[in-house]
This record gives sequence, structure tokens and C-alpha cells, in this order.
Amino acid sequence: MKQPSIGRITRWSLTWRLAVALAGIALLLTGSLRGSDQAWPFAPMSQYAFAPPPDDTIIITRVEGELADGQRIELALRTGVSGISRAEVEAHTDDIIADPALLQGVVAGWTARHPDHPQLRQVWLVQETTTLVGGRRDVTEFVPRASWVVPE
Amino acid sequence: MTTTRWTGPHPEPNPTRPTPSTVARIVGWFAPVLPDRRLAYLRTACYLFVVLDIHTLVRDPIALSHDTTLYRPLLLAEMFRLPAPSAPLVWTLYVVLVVGSLIAAANRLPRAAGFVVAAAFTWWTAIGFSYGKVDHDHTAFVIALWTLPTAGVIAGRWRASTASAQSGWVLKCIQIAVIATYFLSATTKIRNGGGPGHQWEFATWANSFILVWAIVRRPHGLGQFLLPYPELLRGMQWFAFLAELTSVVVLWLRGRALLVAAVFWMGFHAFTVTILYIHFAPTLVCWLAFAPLERCSPWLRRVRGRRQQRVGGRASDPTSG
Repeated sequence: MKQPSIGRITRWSLTWRLAVALAGIALLLTGSLRGSDQAWPFAPMSQYAFAPPPDDTIIITRVEGELADGQRIELALRTGVSGISRAEVEAHTDDIIADPALLQGVVAGWTARHPDHPQLRQVWLVQETTTLVGGRRDVTEFVPRASWVVPE
Repeated sequence: MTTTRWTGPHPEPNPTRPTPSTVARIVGWFAPVLPDRRLAYLRTACYLFVVLDIHTLVRDPIALSHDTTLYRPLLLAEMFRLPAPSAPLVWTLYVVLVVGSLIAAANRLPRAAGFVVAAAFTWWTAIGFSYGKVDHDHTAFVIALWTLPTAGVIAGRWRASTASAQSGWVLKCIQIAVIATYFLSATTKIRNGGGPGHQWEFATWANSFILVWAIVRRPHGLGQFLLPYPELLRGMQWFAFLAELTSVVVLWLRGRALLVAAVFWMGFHAFTVTILYIHFAPTLVCWLAFAPLERCSPWLRRVRGRRQQRVGGRASDPTSG
């Protein structure tokens, strides 16, 4: 195979590249070892990086709603369905419990994507709670944590 | 400014060349001379993936911009005083990303289009990550987008017959970012340990019930079958943790050993897809920085040549048709 011709590079060009590479590694290390999610793109690789014990309680957050015709439905927490994902709602669980009106974002997202459905009258933040016993799944129950009556 | 000819590692070491100094070896490791054609192909793959990404992975900024009550800006947004997302802003970013990526994927205006895409994609992704969930599958990809433009114009693009330290540096940075994703995942697990008061514990994560926890939350395919076997899942945690911790070795592998490592990590990701439907696609694209993509050109030429031969053969064959 023909040997490729090698392009030229200046000392300065090499120096700044080396400096940027070392600075990048330092940022990644610092962010990962000392930072939080706030430091993205140099945040720690924290997804699934915690250690649940064998008797842990696993919580899945859901949002349920009652329509104007009395029907009770789940507002699936996916961007395509309610305009927001479950992880994003879960990150704000305490805020929503303190101020249930924050559920208006989910209501607005769901309503915009379901114009043909009856209006939502009330919504609930519900936690599906599964307990582990010796690392094995045990009972699951549904616990309402907040509710908000949608203004007319 | 003095222009010097590169004296670092060469694809075919010359026995008559003097042994390089330690500094030259370090510089040569960070900026090895590699084919520009490889970078041209990688640019195309990465920029086309940007278009795919904003439609399939980080696709929520437009939806999230309608209501900013749950928006909590990242440090990045605060540092650069970026405004809160709004519909005009995210739609502008969207158009810039699609147009810029298509231009850059063609290896046209590599610096201008490349840096615009890097900035717009970082902003777009930061918006997607400012509502409470930060994924770490995009770290290497964002680093790739910021380094890809630095090599500038590649004459001949996918047919370039040149090699340069500029291209080698970009490829090395992306390789380091890929491996950092795994290695720093392991260090974060050690850092977090058993939670507040129990940080910096080596074995706590691997001995925990994280996979049971994850499968209960994301019941998917094979994961549901493995759920009744927590001890097996813990064994898998140890395997993954040790693989992540030792992943740094990959940066020094070559040839067949590198291929084996790449296949191993592809298998690792295929496995996480089957049990949890977590794919890490942006990091997988960055794995291409390890691949001899420059071989695509001769391969494509051979395929095209054979096809033309077949078409030509049929046209000149009096018995055909």
C-alpha cells in the first residue's frame, strides 16, 4: 500500500493540542471525582452508580388524571405522550409535593398532545412502591403523594 | 512561526530514525500521525448521527421549552449566561443543527460548520439535561464534536492520501473520551460507595442490588428473566465494574487485541440493551475513532468496480436480456 504523505504541523499547533488534551482530562477527572450533574459535560458518570441495599424500596413515579367524563387514566411520562419524561418528573418529586401546581407542566404537555380527549379535571402524583426482601422483589403498592385540581 | 516536519511516531517506523525523546513520545502519543481519510469518514458518521440524535435520543428540548417551570440550568448555562429555553430558541438550534450537520457531514466548511454544530449541539443537549436528568452517554460525543473541526480542511476528503498529527490528535481525544466514559463510571461507583457517610468504598456498588433495582424500574426483555436470580446479577455487576476499571488498557492496544476489546465492549452494550434497553449509542459512534475507517475507500472502490463490471458485462453479453 502506498505510504501517505505526512502533513506538516507547527510546534505551537502541537503545544496547544497537548495543553487542551491535558486540560480536558483534568476537567473530566475533577468533574467526575468532585463535581455533580450540574457540571455536565464534565459531570460524574452517575447513572446507576449508587448501591441499593437488599431491603431497598424501589419507587416508580406516575402521574394519573381524571378526565371531565369521570374516566381515570395514566398520563404516561414520556416526552411523546406528556411532553416530559419520568426521570425529569422524579427529579422534582419533592418540589411537586411541596407545590402540586408544578404538575401543570405535565397537564399542559399531555393536553397539547391529546386535543380530542375530554379535559383533565384533576391529576395525582402517584408512587408505585416495590420493596425488596433479601434482594428479591416483594410487594408493590401505589401511594398518592400529591394532587392538583386543574383550574377551569 | 517555525514550521517543522513531524518527527513523532510514524505508521511504518524507520530503523534509521533516532530514538525520540520522552517529550516527543508523549506528544506523539497524544497526536499520532494518522490518515486524514479516517477523520473524513468519522466526521461524516458523527455529523449524520447528530441529525439522528436530535430526532431520537435528545429529542425533548422542543417539547420541554413549552413549559419551563421544571427548568434548572446547568453550570454551563449559568457560566455563559444562556437564556432559558423558548420555542424560537430551540427551533433556531434545531435548524442550525440540521443544516450545519449536513454541511459538516460532507466535509465542507469543516471549521465553521463544525464549531457551529458543536456549540449548538452542546446547548441543545444541555437544555435536554436541564430538567433533572443528566445522561452520561453523550460526554464522548460532545468532546468529539468540539475536536473534529480542529483538523480543518482535508484535501480530497474521503479520498485523501495524506496523514497528519492534526487528525491523529482528534482521533486520540475521542478515544480518550470513550475510555474515560467507562473508567470514570467505575470511579464514580467507588466515589458514591454506599451513599452519604459511606463514600469511597471499592466493593459496595458491585455487591449491591443495583441491577435488581434497575430491572424493576425498566422491565425489559432478558432482564425480567434474570430478576429472580439476584446473585447472578451481582456477579454481572462485578464483571462490568472490573471491565470498566481496567478499560484504560484499551488506549494502548493495537491490531487484533484492539479488535477483541472493541468487540467485547460492543457485546457489553448489546447485553445492556437486552436486559435494560440502555444503548449508549452516542458513545458507540465514537468507538469508530478506533477503527481503520480509511479502508472504507478501497473497499467502496472495489464494490463500485465490481458493480460496474457486472453492468458492463450484461450490456456487452449478446445472450442477456
